[in-house]
Amino acid sequence: MNALRAKALVEAGLLLRLSGDMAGAEKLFARALELDPANARARRLLGRDGSPEQGSAGGDTGWNLASPDQEVDWGAWTGPSKPGPVEAPLRESVSLPEGTGMRGDALDLIAEAHRTQEFGLPDTFTPAGGLPEGSEVESLLRGAEDLLALDDHSGAVELLRRAQSLAPENPRVEALRDRSERILVSMLEARLGDLNRMPRVRLQPDDIIWLNLDHRAGFVLAQIDGAVSFDDLFALSGMSRLDTARILAQLLDEGIIAPGE
Amino acid sequence: MAAEPEPLIGIDLGTTNSLVATVQDGQPIIIKNRTGQPLTPSVVAVSKNGKRLVGGIAKRQAITNPQETVSAAKRLIGRKFSSHPVQDAMRALTYQVVCGQHDDVRIRLAGRDLAVPEVSAMILAELKADAEAHFGRPVTQAVITVPAYFNDGQRQATKDAGRIAGLEVLRIINEPTAAALAYGFGRTVNGKIAVLDLGGGTFDVSVLEINNGIFDVVATGGDTFLGGEDWDHRIIEWMVFSFAKEHGIDLRKDRMALQRLKDAAEKAKVELSSVKETQLHLPFICTPPGGGAALHLQSTLTREKLEDLTADLGERLVGITSEVLGEAKVRPSELKEVILVGGMSRMPRIIEQVRQYFRREPCKGVHAEEVVALGAAIQAHALVGQESELLLLDVTPQSMGVAIAGGYVRRLIPRNTTVPTSATEVFATSKDFQRTVKIMVLQGEHELAHHNELLGEFLLTGLREAPRGQVEIEVTFDINAEGIVSVSARDRDTGLRQSITVTASSGLTEDELRRIMEEQRDWLVAARNTEELKSKRVELDTLARDLVDALSRVRLMPGAGGLSPDVVARAEAALDHARQARGTEDVGALTRACEALAQSLPLLRSAGSRGTPGR
Repeated sequence: MNALRAKALVEAGLLLRLSGDMAGAEKLFARALELDPANARARRLLGRDGSPEQGSAGGDTGWNLASPDQEVDWGAWTGPSKPGPVEAPLRESVSLPEGTGMRGDALDLIAEAHRTQEFGLPDTFTPAGGLPEGSEVESLLRGAEDLLALDDHSGAVELLRRAQSLAPENPRVEALRDRSERILVSMLEARLGDLNRMPRVRLQPDDIIWLNLDHRAGFVLAQIDGAVSFDDLFALSGMSRLDTARILAQLLDEGIIAPGE
Repeated sequence: MAAEPEPLIGIDLGTTNSLVATVQDGQPIIIKNRTGQPLTPSVVAVSKNGKRLVGGIAKRQAITNPQETVSAAKRLIGRKFSSHPVQDAMRALTYQVVCGQHDDVRIRLAGRDLAVPEVSAMILAELKADAEAHFGRPVTQAVITVPAYFNDGQRQATKDAGRIAGLEVLRIINEPTAAALAYGFGRTVNGKIAVLDLGGGTFDVSVLEINNGIFDVVATGGDTFLGGEDWDHRIIEWMVFSFAKEHGIDLRKDRMALQRLKDAAEKAKVELSSVKETQLHLPFICTPPGGGAALHLQSTLTREKLEDLTADLGERLVGITSEVLGEAKVRPSELKEVILVGGMSRMPRIIEQVRQYFRREPCKGVHAEEVVALGAAIQAHALVGQESELLLLDVTPQSMGVAIAGGYVRRLIPRNTTVPTSATEVFATSKDFQRTVKIMVLQGEHELAHHNELLGEFLLTGLREAPRGQVEIEVTFDINAEGIVSVSARDRDTGLRQSITVTASSGLTEDELRRIMEEQRDWLVAARNTEELKSKRVELDTLARDLVDALSRVRLMPGAGGLSPDVVARAEAALDHARQARGTEDVGALTRACEALAQSLPLLRSAGSRGTPGR
């Protein structure tokens, strides 16, 4: 059973790697290897057999939990396996109100004695239920499930979007995607802070052209003039809330914009 | 102490942009909106997340969300759905327009069918809120301007929009009259003046005759589909063509790119009124179809190039002006003054063309975009201050009459007649042994009946049988001070009488209007409450984050930084309380929770300064 699951995870990881989410892919390969230590493909993809086929450029091995300065979901670096002299007492758990789609509540960032897993799958979720064993959708769902367990909502949403394109009517895929997107949006919005603030561009026009942005980020950046709030930008962008939040968080993280007043 | 007089405002409710002004310390001034801009785009939208947007923010998402963005509602206000202007306008609209129960126009927005005055009311409410932010107190009275050619129905619909927005509309005045008032022409000029109003989407030419403070609109015309946006489109086309030549990509196919092109074109056009060249700089405008790095659009547009691109538009302006003056039999040399209105009229090339045509310098001194709103504010001030020399009288905006044989109109009340007024005329039957006569009440200036607005009709039956011309019918028009028109017809032989009362209608019944006003009030209350809740939650989140940070620092300190366990327990209790309050919709509970957090915070922060044991 574990071997089969590991195989599915490797497939999902490869899809994720193709979409450019190297960190998410590595997490899935590592999880596959954990479930089935004999899985040569996972080992190879992780670069643990000395072969060149691996996603990450660095020589880091193991779970490779991202550090806060890496491009990864907010909150994903506080995994239980992370060693450290003093475990940070805060920001271990973000519990969100069910179904509101609203941003995370700061009050839920209160320290708990133990880490709780609030981002996981809905209680009723059974990944393989209703789907043929070994199908691509099933692989994707399992991959998403594992990524969610690792707090990688970005990667999970990516896989779930693919799963939904393959099984658009599947209510489980839809429910899981909806929930994952909601959580991801909340996390990204928490990164932006007060949505009433009016961000401003920190760079001069001449410097902006040297950035590595796509046209959608370029569009959002063009709307930022110090007079519109983050909240307004969600309305202006013409994109989904998730896509807009992602772009804004990226612009903020890269120091292209400042949150403003 | 005498109570402060209630603030009064004048509103220029434009097709493309709207402005609000007031008279302060004797000087008319424009009230800037809450984003610091004098102009508020007349655009209303519902964003993809269901938020109602008005003004600049709505305009900026117009291209990426076209179906849920309403612009140029003024083209539709007070008109019948089946009318030519509405059918013409519909071809250019990106949003859905449907027919209401009384052949009125309804705009479909976010799944709801809204009456046009409802949409205009959203813009007026925004301007009202801007004025209230300026004065720091409620504003309830306003003068609103409309084009000189607006009929009673359109004026009534604009009044209804004001009522929905919570404004008492003191008076509706003509835009060119407001412009003339802003220049003080009521006092200084006797004679004819021309007002050329080139707005964002329309070009209106009016000739006014000013006689001892009386403003008479003697001619009005123009092109309702010529305006600043045509200049923008030329710049967009130029940018698109240049980009396609360089990269082989048509930017018009991408809505995001098109929105940016539109914004950049408008900005460039405005800049080129004051500078000779401007940079168009749109980084990451599109991603090539096969992928790869996003492309930038970088270009320089000169004033000369813009004039070249739009030469024909300038010529159209002159042609239309010439036509309107020709129809009114007014020679340019007869005019005492020429006023330019609208942002577009600040373009040097247009000023030059006007100068050449009229052989005189157009008026300067009042900002062309602001002049109408300033005039409206002056009128509002005069109305309340009873400054009679500036007071415009309520007049009939268009002539009224009845249809007569041959499909013509017999005018009983000419336009610009001061109300209340009445007029009677005797007509005769046009056919032998005619037993019935149909009285069709019309409004408009055209000689042919079907080109005028039909206000109402009724039959007078039981006429004496006689050869044509022998039965006399006396028709009386009576307009009271409220503008309500009563028309009666009486058979002079038999004394038989029939009548009709015509009230200018916006297409909304009084019941509908009341319902909409209630909905609007509910919406405002809900919006205010939501805003308050939102801001309290933000405050609560900030305080909670700070308290959590402070609490965690304290927990890491040996001996809790010298704080008594009581302080930590109280802070934890405050957080518990805050957590519960945050889930409620109760502003009071949120406020109390914020206070509790704010009380605990300084105590926790003092932990370090109290001398930590072991450090």
